[in-house]
Amino acid sequence: MTTPIHHCKECVDLLGEYIEGTLSPERAKALEDHLSTCPPCITFVRTYRATRKLCRHALATEMPKELMTSLTSFLGKHVPGFPCTKSETAAPSLATTADSGSKKV
Amino acid sequence: MADLNQTQREPAPEEPRLDGQPGDRELVERAQQGDGAAFAMLVERHQRQLYRLALRMTGSEADAQEVLQEAFLNAYQKLPLFRGEAQFSSWLYRIAANSALMRLRRKRRAPDTLAEQPLELAGPRFSAEGYLEPASSSDWSQRADEKMMSGELGAAINRAVADLPDDYRTVFLLKDVDGLSNEEIANALDLTVPAVKSRLHRARLALREKLGEFFDGAK
Repeated sequence: MTTPIHHCKECVDLLGEYIEGTLSPERAKALEDHLSTCPPCITFVRTYRATRKLCRHALATEMPKELMTSLTSFLGKHVPGFPCTKSETAAPSLATTADSGSKKV
Repeated sequence: MADLNQTQREPAPEEPRLDGQPGDRELVERAQQGDGAAFAMLVERHQRQLYRLALRMTGSEADAQEVLQEAFLNAYQKLPLFRGEAQFSSWLYRIAANSALMRLRRKRRAPDTLAEQPLELAGPRFSAEGYLEPASSSDWSQRADEKMMSGELGAAINRAVADLPDDYRTVFLLKDVDGLSNEEIANALDLTVPAVKSRLHRARLALREKLGEFFDGAK
């Protein structure tokens, strides 16, 4: 027997896992039962989903090509046999700052 | 600070790749035998996600570049000691996250872990009985699509995200914008998965409040 959800707060608390599909089927069913009788929570779910969508759209970032080139160039100088086919964009040397200790990993 | 030590355990299982390319484990073994081209393939494969992690943690493209250089060089130097008990990508995230944290600490005396910062986050308001207050249930989702390309909305989102505490912002960006799994984020930031889920949810609630204020003001 699923414990019903009576209050919006419990619904909101479970929302993150619900929209990711990681909520147990029993709790998801209880949440959907609550949604079927609670228009404010339906609105809440809509705006919660829209928040993720808007932020993803506004904040998406790709790694700049120039940075890939400079990383390739940097590693080409410090890693034996590393193929350095990109142009030799200057990159600040970190050879002295990188941790070269022999910590067991 | 995340610990890079691995105890003696069975190697982590590795999913076969759909593109027919060698898996990370094979490339790591080749790189451990001195194959620089194999290490280059690992760099090519993981550099984008590492860049996003570094950028989200440091907030600076220049710092992200240096974190990436340091992390990959550090990984190369530690490669002979990597025994495959963890996924290579997880191991790499930890190295990059440690590098980013050290850089932050040097620059602004950042706390030892991202989880030590104070929390001040907005969220929905409930009645004493646990019901949503009307102010928390304005439906602006229908107007979201038409505002998607708005510069004002973009600026409002950037402000709202910048106002989040560092650890909440980092978790939110890595998950909802960059698409890392909860497990990857937990491993990189030295948090538990429940802690990742909690920060993520709180961050989303705070951002939802700010977006609600934006849309209410734009009526």
